[in-house]
Amino acid sequence: MNSSHHRWLLEQLPQWERDGLLTTDAARTLRERHTAQQAAADAQPGVAQIIMGSLGALLIGAGLIAVIGYNWDDFSRPMRLLFAFVPLLVTQIASFRVLQRGEAAAAWVRETAALLQALATGACIAIVSQIYNLGGEWPDFLFWWMLLSLPLVWVMRSQAVAIFYLVAIATWSVNQIEHGNPWHDSALIYPVLLLGLLPFWPGWPPKQTLSVSVRWVMTISAIFGLCSAAVFVCETSGLFPRFQFSTAMWLWTLTAAALTLFPLNQTAFEEPTRRKPQVVLGSLWLFGYGLAATFHEVGDDVAGGMKHALHLPWCWGLLAVLAVFVLLALKQRRWAVLSIASIALLPLVAFPFERLLSWVFTLHLAAIGLTLILLDFSGRRGAPRFGALLLSVLIILRMADSHFSLLAKGIGFIIVGVAFLAFNLLMSRRARQPALPSA
Amino acid sequence: MKTLPLFIFGLAAIAQWAVPLAQIRAHEQTLAQGTLIKLKCAAPDPYDPLRGRFLAVRPEQRDATLPEGMKVERGMHVFATLTTGADGLATITHVSLTPPASGDFIRLKTGYVYDRKATIQWPFDRFYINEKLAPEADKWFAENIRGTKGIIAEVRVLDGHAVLADLSLDGRPFREILKERVK
Repeated sequence: MNSSHHRWLLEQLPQWERDGLLTTDAARTLRERHTAQQAAADAQPGVAQIIMGSLGALLIGAGLIAVIGYNWDDFSRPMRLLFAFVPLLVTQIASFRVLQRGEAAAAWVRETAALLQALATGACIAIVSQIYNLGGEWPDFLFWWMLLSLPLVWVMRSQAVAIFYLVAIATWSVNQIEHGNPWHDSALIYPVLLLGLLPFWPGWPPKQTLSVSVRWVMTISAIFGLCSAAVFVCETSGLFPRFQFSTAMWLWTLTAAALTLFPLNQTAFEEPTRRKPQVVLGSLWLFGYGLAATFHEVGDDVAGGMKHALHLPWCWGLLAVLAVFVLLALKQRRWAVLSIASIALLPLVAFPFERLLSWVFTLHLAAIGLTLILLDFSGRRGAPRFGALLLSVLIILRMADSHFSLLAKGIGFIIVGVAFLAFNLLMSRRARQPALPSA
Repeated sequence: MKTLPLFIFGLAAIAQWAVPLAQIRAHEQTLAQGTLIKLKCAAPDPYDPLRGRFLAVRPEQRDATLPEGMKVERGMHVFATLTTGADGLATITHVSLTPPASGDFIRLKTGYVYDRKATIQWPFDRFYINEKLAPEADKWFAENIRGTKGIIAEVRVLDGHAVLADLSLDGRPFREILKERVK
């Protein structure tokens, strides 16, 4: 609960007391508890403050880099080097002062100091490489910049620098997919770079929860980084390297399944799905992949891609990670995500029926759709509307795929549309029915 | 105040100084003590979002012949011996996996390897210039790159390390020519 939630609850208490909904004792207990929690929430930094601080730091840093970009030819080399090191020293002293103040330092000051220091580091190495005409493309420069900024995430607990690091490692990985690079200079090291953030998020299960914005950036970074690694391993060697798209597709799908099943602690498990970007984005990919694979030609490509992928160590690494995540998800009874993640493993399980793979996908997705509806009707946590949507899309795809006349297809679409609307209406009425008091 | 965060911060701060300082040391040493090597090159005028305008320096020699039996893969580091010809321009005359005992050499990366040849990635590929001079530099390049004299990259070489010191045309430094043209 944030500060406004506590305030709202405290405002309601007198009315609830008057209406007899709460006893005086219960109201006092709630008042004491939520007054303390509101005070704690008020002491937390405002998001606006952090954003403004970070924006200020970003503008100063960007300005510094642009000034460097001008190239002050008229100054001597030592003078230009002074331009590089003075801002770095100033920002280091500022960060040290913030660290000395510890918890007493406001969060936005900590964020601003850390981001300024990270930018001053970038500006410093930029000016040195400019003065000495150092070679190398900007991803090389970015690599050193992000590594030198990483410790600031740990010690200053800076979300802004963490976001910069996540964006930087993803950007760097996307740029390192060219075949022929040694493995240690390729997207294959993305997982190691991502693990570099662990001290920011220590312990297992993690003691601190990440903000939603960091979670989204981390998920998107992981998608780009891990998918770049998959692209890197999917290029054949030789004089004319060739990228194997269907192989990469299956590796991306295994990555999506691993993201969807990423282990959660109990608090995170109970959070709404929209606060779990790895589940949202992973599931979207898996359903898209699953629906595409219901087409015969795509199903054949999926089977071919999987066969080739099984020769790659990266694929076995992903399968091993996935196996661990599946076991943990089974332990936590995360049935919904397990059923969604199973789409990724379908080509492997249905390998003996390779020719019928598209039908296996159709039946499997239909089963998931039905399960999501039936779970809700049996009083468990399901997603009936999503289940109905999945079934509708499957029917529409099969209709579009069929050799029926345009008239028959049109009528079919209308029937599915009407059935979908009717189901939606039924669910709305069900939601409006008051819950029966428990015995 | 906790000691560990301060200790890590101290290490990070030192690293933030050490990385550029190490670069400065290596480059200053090469500039001061290195042998001057001249390479004929091509140089258009692109832009780096972080470091400003530069002339992309591409020495004419793009590949080198590998000695018999030498196994090289793409992305490997090799040592290229540079020999100056009668025209005063240097070319790669030998490639080895270990530093040669004598002569001027550069440590560089190999690109594609075919037959007994390997394309090479020179350790310098850009010469940064002032934003105001950049458009004039572009014109100067277009006028002179196809001339018989060509644009020369002056590189200082020391113990395998190379620093691009200047560009010149007909023995005159590039910046000097540009400043005259801008006046």
